[in-house]
Amino acid sequence: MKLLLVEDDREAAAYLKRALSEAGHTVDYAAEGRDGLMLAAGEPYDVIVLDRMLPQIDGLAILRTIRASGVKTPVLLLTALGGIDDRVEGLEAGGDDYLVKPFAFAELLARVNALARRPPPQEVRTELSVADLRLDLLKRSVTRGGQRIELQPREFQLLEYLMRHAGRVVTRTMLLESVWDFHFDPKTNIVETHMSRLRGKVDRGHAYELIHTVRGAGYILREPD
Amino acid sequence: MFRSTSLRLAALYTAGFAISVVLLGAITLLTTRAALSDQFDDRVRSESNALVEEYRVEGLEGLIQAVKERDRTAGSLDYGVLDAQGRPMAGRLAGAPTPLGWSEARNRPDREPVRILTVALPEGRRLLVGDDDKQIEVLNRALLASFGWTLLGVVILGVLGGYALSRDVHQRLAAISGTAEAIIDGDLARRVPVRGSEDDLDRLALTINRMLDRIAALMESLKQVSSDVAHDLRTPLTRLRQRLEAGLVDPNERAQVLEGGLADLDSILDTFAALLRIAQIEGGARRAAFRPCDVAAIARTVVEAFAPSAEESRQSLTLAVDGAPTIDGDAELLTQMLVNLVENALRHAGDGARIEVRVSCGEGAAVLSVTDDGPGVPPAEHARLFDRFYRLERSRSTPGSGLGLALVAAVARLHGAEVGLADARPGLTARVVFAGAA
Repeated sequence: MKLLLVEDDREAAAYLKRALSEAGHTVDYAAEGRDGLMLAAGEPYDVIVLDRMLPQIDGLAILRTIRASGVKTPVLLLTALGGIDDRVEGLEAGGDDYLVKPFAFAELLARVNALARRPPPQEVRTELSVADLRLDLLKRSVTRGGQRIELQPREFQLLEYLMRHAGRVVTRTMLLESVWDFHFDPKTNIVETHMSRLRGKVDRGHAYELIHTVRGAGYILREPD
Repeated sequence: MFRSTSLRLAALYTAGFAISVVLLGAITLLTTRAALSDQFDDRVRSESNALVEEYRVEGLEGLIQAVKERDRTAGSLDYGVLDAQGRPMAGRLAGAPTPLGWSEARNRPDREPVRILTVALPEGRRLLVGDDDKQIEVLNRALLASFGWTLLGVVILGVLGGYALSRDVHQRLAAISGTAEAIIDGDLARRVPVRGSEDDLDRLALTINRMLDRIAALMESLKQVSSDVAHDLRTPLTRLRQRLEAGLVDPNERAQVLEGGLADLDSILDTFAALLRIAQIEGGARRAAFRPCDVAAIARTVVEAFAPSAEESRQSLTLAVDGAPTIDGDAELLTQMLVNLVENALRHAGDGARIEVRVSCGEGAAVLSVTDDGPGVPPAEHARLFDRFYRLERSRSTPGSGLGLALVAAVARLHGAEVGLADARPGLTARVVFAGAA
């Protein structure tokens, strides 16, 4: 994927650029808001990673400008401001996701991958499917290999999120935010326990597993190799 | 002093009153004068009519007799009877002939102006009845004088009163700006003096004092955060430093050192985030974003999220809802508050504990409580548990920043709620009471 990274801390940017390149992405880098704005408006990117606080032009101002000029590229905001209002402000300015510094690289990578638009499914989807797993969004029912699986409402949401991001790593924080709407980090392993229950229902007794743990990063639901 | 608002106001009022007095005086004077003249004319006319009647009945002799009699009476009007040639036949009013009807002439021996009604009698004779209007003048002068004094009184009272009033207001305003100056100069403990009269200036003083208290609390909280950061982040940062140093000495344990270092760092960042969050909550800015929140729905989400984890430690986490209270608040912070209370119970109530989250409402209050049947906490420690970094001796070794309940207390304060711990015999109950629930 082609990414644009706008970050004024050169050391952090160099590290991110290298790590993202190693993960298979092409990364353009701008250390300044103005350069970032020019690149963002001129080149087609899959995802823009934008630091919120930049010298000269503020990250949010850049975001508003490129959104106003019709650029719909998904934007991941990086910020040192973790307040609730800051997050809301960032999303209202047109950000698609928000990551508070400091963060683990795995978290950034997972979010960049989650944001990148796969061939956009324009038609309204009523069913998600991965391998022999089917999730009916209307009937809110799940089957695997034709066999019905009974899920709690929250487990259904969890599975839906995993299937929408099939083939991509989702992190614990992403799940907490989107499935439970918890924008803070509980000390209890609630994601792990719900995930293990879900895996018990989805994978137990089947020839191959669909949900996998990615050590140090999160979970992935993918088709068998 | 002359630029003071109150003095200007007092001057304006005094001027207003003075103008009113002058207007009132003028109107009184004019109406009195008109009424007195009418009365004067009536009296002259009725005398004249009476004498004409006398003349008609008694003839000229009778008339002259009547005039002479009247002349002898003190305080009577002035009369005159003239013959056809204008020569006086009786009475004091003689001299130049006056035209018929009302006229002004100096026909009296003392030559004072007299207002005269002249009527014609048969055979060219004339009857004159008149009086000077000195009485009217005297009355007018008396009225004028009394209004003059009143005006003077109003002006003096206005000026004195205005001065006193503006001096008072000026002093009180000076006290307020003096307090502000003192605070600018760094004396943050200064407050505006309050009289207790509960007037508008007193209310202003109270409002300013409350604002100053609020600012002082914010400053205090900021100071608290910086000292907390210094106190509680230095220790783990020192540990991290030692770990990294050890790794440098013994390169064989690199992976272990890095892993431990990252864990240390994460716990430091957690503490840091919690401190910032508490400070942000205590700043009170979130109150602007309050929305009606369904307490039961929040409790349901939290219980449902944590029940599987509780089961893993053979604990049970259940929800009891009684009523559907709605409170004005911040759903995200309320969720985090309940999460902290539930996690606290899960962590400290021990294996096999039963934990119940209860939502109830009544008498305009919503109550959210988390009760466990664990070992509980000595009552003496209840209040202190909400302090930052306070931890029971027995839980020092378990993970946790000691900030969970401090955050609960901050969220409760933000929502104007009472939070407290109570002995659940056995175990512990944490109760948050929201007043003003719907």
